[in-house]
Amino acid sequence: MNAKARAAVVLLVPFFALFVVVMVVPIGYAVWLSLFTEQQSGLGFGGTHTVFSGLGNYTAALGDHAFRDGFLVLLGYCALYIPLLLAGALTLALLLDSALARARRFFQLALFLPHAVPGIIAALIWVYLYTPRLSPVVAAMESGGLGFDFLSPSGALPSVVNIALWEWLGYNMVIFYAALQAVDRSVIEAATVDGAGAWRVATAVKLPLIRSSLAMVALFTVIGSLQLFTEPLILNQGSGSAVTSSWTPNMYAYTAAFGRNDYGLAAASSVLLALAAALLSFFVTRLSGRSARSGRSGRSGRHPSRASGPPAAGRPVRGPRPPLAHPEGRP
Amino acid sequence: MSTSWSRRRTTYALAGGLTALTLLTACGGGGAAGSEGPVTLTYWGWTKGTKQAVDAFNAAHRDTKVRFEEIPSGTAGGYAKISNAVRAGNAPDLVSIEYPTLPEFVSQGAVKDITPYVTPELKKKLLPQAVQLTTLGGRNWAVPFDAAPQVYYYRKDFFTRHKIEVPRTWDDFRTAAAAARKADPKARIGTFFPDDPTTFEAMAWQAGARWFATQGDSWKLDTTDPATRKVTAYWQGLLKDGLVHTHVSFSPAWTNSLRSGGTVGYLGASWGAGVLKGTLPDQSGAWAAAPVPTWNGRPASGMLGGSTTAVTKGSRHAGAAVRFAAWMSTAPEAVRARVASGESSAYPAATALRPVARQAFDTRYYGGQDVYALFDAAAASVNGDWGWGPATSTTNTTLKDEFGKAAGTGGGAGSLADAVRAGSDATVRELRRRGLKVMGR
Repeated sequence: MNAKARAAVVLLVPFFALFVVVMVVPIGYAVWLSLFTEQQSGLGFGGTHTVFSGLGNYTAALGDHAFRDGFLVLLGYCALYIPLLLAGALTLALLLDSALARARRFFQLALFLPHAVPGIIAALIWVYLYTPRLSPVVAAMESGGLGFDFLSPSGALPSVVNIALWEWLGYNMVIFYAALQAVDRSVIEAATVDGAGAWRVATAVKLPLIRSSLAMVALFTVIGSLQLFTEPLILNQGSGSAVTSSWTPNMYAYTAAFGRNDYGLAAASSVLLALAAALLSFFVTRLSGRSARSGRSGRSGRHPSRASGPPAAGRPVRGPRPPLAHPEGRP
Repeated sequence: MSTSWSRRRTTYALAGGLTALTLLTACGGGGAAGSEGPVTLTYWGWTKGTKQAVDAFNAAHRDTKVRFEEIPSGTAGGYAKISNAVRAGNAPDLVSIEYPTLPEFVSQGAVKDITPYVTPELKKKLLPQAVQLTTLGGRNWAVPFDAAPQVYYYRKDFFTRHKIEVPRTWDDFRTAAAAARKADPKARIGTFFPDDPTTFEAMAWQAGARWFATQGDSWKLDTTDPATRKVTAYWQGLLKDGLVHTHVSFSPAWTNSLRSGGTVGYLGASWGAGVLKGTLPDQSGAWAAAPVPTWNGRPASGMLGGSTTAVTKGSRHAGAAVRFAAWMSTAPEAVRARVASGESSAYPAATALRPVARQAFDTRYYGGQDVYALFDAAAASVNGDWGWGPATSTTNTTLKDEFGKAAGTGGGAGSLADAVRAGSDATVRELRRRGLKVMGR
């Protein structure tokens, strides 16, 4: 082994050791747990014994309408939340980036600030704002003739979407804004000289150039949405709302483990959710990879080195990365 | 993509890591038990005044020391904490468990069978209904601490000012609710708690329902009996006509409404007397207690909660633990210390200790009313037929979910009857899943 290989081994060992201990082993443990169930006999007062149930927990989870309904809730959540988030964050970023904007720093900070509030605190604040006879907002809306039951069966989904938007809009706006800042000013000047107005510049020049950040934010948001948990849990436990204890698949797993002590079922539903996330992220990557590639052709002149690089097999070569790294999976 | 993946994995990792850690601790802990030296017991609970009672125990005993740790109340996370600790092997020796949840813990094998330590003398000291609720499958699983008969608290000043009679029957209750609303459009004489099925269950219990029964080695669930249907229809009517408020129990919204005079009554239990006192200190003298309204005017009551002390499976000091639990339930010093702490209005399951609790309880808040005499009458009227099933957490979680949908704080869509049916169906599914027999379904 030469010195280079030795160095590589030494540098990689800590990573792989930790990776195995804190990732591979726990995932394996979860899969293992999901194969067993606890059975009782008689009236059930003789304690439990663990039996191997094969895929029994998986069929039980899939056969439970509460678990399946959780995915429907997620679907509705994504359908409502993702377009609103992308459109809102993009509009704000374009406004900040336009020549019209004043006090950019201030707005950037003000819009980002809600993200600094932890999700639990945010949810607690919103529960207060949603609760009838307690919330000044609900009272004001009612006196204005705009009654809306935020915690009712039909109001629960928009309420959760609203909390998530409040938390994540500014964050994603900052990502888009950073990407916009990286756009070559000479391209915009050229478009302006050619007679393009502000709207035309935004839609025909800026948007195509930040398409890869758009795809990235979309991906993170989709995956993050699958793990929806904190906000609805607070709405479930502290508000007497229509949000049930198994409203999302993550909550289903949580309730199975900590409400009913059914660790096998909890593990099985977690594994199913993880599989769903894996599949979905695979498709979204493929999809966004395609769009990123088609988007890149327009600016190959700017990046000759990238355009002439080796063809990406399966894994798309991204356009210019936004300078801001995405530290979390839940935008 | 990798970032989001790692997030998911981190969750697993954290869970796994914690499990591993707790297992390690479990292996390291424990230590040698036995006769040499004083025994140290650990105890998790949340009921008011427990700390003072434990201090009194420690002051009076040399051979046994108890370390008390306050945990969140059962449904607020305490039960999850206990069952996880038992599973991980690092549970305390003793835990507080309420009557409705005890069968669930027994069926999980989380608590120890303490039949050999529960002597006939100990049983004789306790309310028979309470002993029965802790006897499952012919074995004893916990030492009853208090009885929690349902009673009705009301704002005496409001009722007097508006010349509203204190309701004796549920029909009266409805009339009084309408009268209160007429007198003050904001005022309601009671609250529906969508998050707390136990209040609803206490009322079904009072009406004569028996949701969980056994026959041979099979469970029998019945939530569509006439008594339950009567209670369900009655509350549906109150909700529909806006005669009660809907609040989360013990939430800021509920407290706020009590404070501002929007809520002038509370269908609580014996322990509620201390809760009101602690929550609304400035309304001292304004409150009074009455028997819970009944269907036919004859005294009847269900139990709303009520706690027991159980010994966990892994405890190595079962004998000492039961002796401590028995002391907490039957020693005058224990009850005196607890009630004198101020916020507790515990009504001991040990009948002989009721005068002690009565003496220690400061009744000024209730204008000098002898609330313990009221508790006595209410406890005597508790229907002894009711028993809890081994999947109460499934029953109650489902009821809570469905009540939230049918009659949540944000208005509802659905009926209480559907909610009760869903709760029963979910329970049957859960029992079958565990391999238990359920009859006639």
